[in-house]
Parts: sequence; structure tokens; C-alpha cells
Amino acid sequence: MKTNANALSRGLVRCHDCGHLSKVNTPHCPVCNGHLHPRKPKSLQRTAALLLSSYALYLPANVFPIMTVTRLGSGEPHTIIGGIFALIDSGMMPIALLVLVASILVPMVKLLGLSLLVFSVYFNWPINARLATVVYRIIAFVGRWSMLDIFMITILVSLVNLGGVAQVIAGPAATAFACVVVLTMFAATSFDPRLIWDNPNAYE
Amino acid sequence: MELAACPECDLLLNPHQAAVGENAHCPRCGYLLQRPSKQSIERTLALSIAGLLLMLPANLLPLVGIKVLGTSHDGTLWSGVFTLFSEGMWAVAVLVFLSSMLFPLLNIVLSLLVSFYLHFNKPNKYLSHWMRWLQHLKEWAMLEVYMLGIIVACVKLTSMSEVKFGLGLYAFIALIVVSGMLASHLDGYLFWRHIRRLNNKL
Ligand SMILES: [Zn+2]
Ligand SMILES: [Zn+2]
Repeated sequence: MKTNANALSRGLVRCHDCGHLSKVNTPHCPVCNGHLHPRKPKSLQRTAALLLSSYALYLPANVFPIMTVTRLGSGEPHTIIGGIFALIDSGMMPIALLVLVASILVPMVKLLGLSLLVFSVYFNWPINARLATVVYRIIAFVGRWSMLDIFMITILVSLVNLGGVAQVIAGPAATAFACVVVLTMFAATSFDPRLIWDNPNAYE
Repeated sequence: MELAACPECDLLLNPHQAAVGENAHCPRCGYLLQRPSKQSIERTLALSIAGLLLMLPANLLPLVGIKVLGTSHDGTLWSGVFTLFSEGMWAVAVLVFLSSMLFPLLNIVLSLLVSFYLHFNKPNKYLSHWMRWLQHLKEWAMLEVYMLGIIVACVKLTSMSEVKFGLGLYAFIALIVVSGMLASHLDGYLFWRHIRRLNNKL
């Protein structure tokens, strides 16, 4: 038998953690004792607040140097984009492309995509709900890969630590960029994709 | 028959136990509801023990090293965190520590605890807590992203020095493979059903 109703419209609430269905207004899940909410609490507000903070930090993350490479006493600060150009200059196109996707495209797509999803739910835009859910799933999946740049810098600072000869030091953009990654990951988890399907104007 | 609901579109479903090798998707939004694996509990238990054994060499042995002007420098997971911290980048250091060391470890320890109790049919009042933590931690353990970072760093370093791979890197790669297999063999649907049965015995 195929039903075509939302659990909530039948008075049932799904436990976020174990999936057990309980009647609406049950405070705790009888199976795992977790808190029950029909939808993630304050999902839109939380996602919007986290997105705004990420937008604010996205600017310093791209403007300030993410690391400084010192060779024989002369320092050379690199921004995220500068690092990509340096890779292109040394003829490492595939790696440059990889860093471009992980550090520039993924955070941008996440910020814009999640913002659009929040708007579509808030203003009840007539959107394809199935497509929007797929977009959400992609955003939630790719987020962690932005940590690539942070991990690369971690390895460089620990290895290239040769005093006056050569040294790599992490820059202030590293903290800002790390915050962008963490905040957008939290934004993705606080958004409830079921809100897309609650939108009365959405179609399948 | 008990009803279920899709976590991503809230569609009310009549669950059927999917067969091994069969992926059950939500008919409305396509969410992967179930992916049963053969002997999920036993395999999770075996893989978490293997992961736990690999944890120590992967964390402490050098991953990569460089050789400049005759002196060589090795980098471990821990030395990266430590250098960032000593440079005053404590926020980044904490994040790297959590995502490359603590959360992967917790992930394996929690899988071990849960599968151990399920395998030996022992009820424990913390089982559902452990399972919940395991589900929330999953996306914050980022070993495979770290591996990609190692590759990019090595490519950058080849222009200035000789790069050599350490023993720890092999343990690290093995750990990534084990963690990946752990994620695909741990059948959350089955685990919760057993936890529920055991909780009734408490
Ligand atoms: Zn529950
Ligand atoms: Zn669904």
C-alpha cells in the first residue's frame, strides 16, 4: 500500500534520531528518550542566522592571507585565490582546479543554495520540491570537503618549519575560512528539508 | 504493521524489511531509507576493532616528510595541530584536532560499544545515547578530506624539496578504508530495532 500523506498531517511525529513515530505532543521518544519535535525547532531562523554570519566571514576569508610562505627571509602572503594562481603558474592545473572547487565554489554554492532554500520556504515559492531536496542533499554532502584548504595548511605549517630557510605560517584568513566551513555545515544541519514539502505551492 | 516516515519529506510509509543488497528509497523524495548489509552487527564490531588498532599508528607515526639541505622533517597528525596552536591559531588547531583526531576516534569507539552490546545481546541504558552521538558525529570526522589535503600539500612541496611518505600514511589510508566500510556496513535501521528490543529488557 502506498500512502500519500505527511506523517504530521496524520498526527504523527518522527523521532530525529531513531525514526520511531509517536503521537503529536509526546515530549520524549519512548524508544530512545530523545526530544521530539514535528520539525527541527526554529529551523529557518537558525539557518538564516548561521548563513548571515557565514556571509560576513566569507569576505575576510577571501581578502586576508590564508598563509605566508617565507623563503630566505622574504615573506610572501597568499590569499586563497593567490594560492590557486600559484598552482596554475607552476603548471599544476588539476590540483588548482581541485582547490578552486573545494575552497571557492563549494562555499559559494552552499551559501547561495541554502539562502535560496530558506527564501523558497519563507515566501512559499512554487518550486519543484523533489529538485530542491536533491539540492539540499548535495549541499549537505559537499560541505565538509571545503576543509581541504585548512588541512593542507596544517600539513604545510608542520612540515615547512625550517627557521630562516623556509617557513609557512597560517594567516588570519585561515580562522575566518574555518569558521565559514563550520557555520555553513551547521546551517545545513539546522535546515529541515521537510519544510520544502510543507510549502503548499511546491509541486513534485 | 507499524508505520514509518521519511526523514527528509515526512511521507508516511509502510515499511517492509528490505533484503540484503536491496536499497530502499523513499518513493517521493528519493531518500535512501535502508541499505541492509549482511551481518551488519558482526561486521561493524570487527571493523571497529580493526579501526581502533589502526588509530595509534595513524596518529603517532609520520605521515609525510620533507628533506631540505640534508635535514629531514616529518609531519604527524598531532604535529600539525601542535604547530597551529603554537602559532596562535588556536581556533583552527581545535577544529583540525576535532575533525582529524577526536571525532574519528569517537566514531570508532561508539561503533565498537554499540555493536558489542548488540552482538552479545546485552541491554545498556546508554545504548541509545551512544547511537545518537554516533549519528551526529559522523559528518564531522573528516579523514578522507585530510587525505586530499595531504595530496595537495605534497604537490605544492615537490617544487621546493624532496617529499617522502612515512609509515603512518599507510596506517592512515587503511584507517580511511576501514572507516568507509564501517559507514557502509552500519545499518542504522537494524541497529535501532535491536536497541529498541534491548531497551524493553531494561
Ligand atoms: Zn527516538
Ligand atoms: Zn521522502
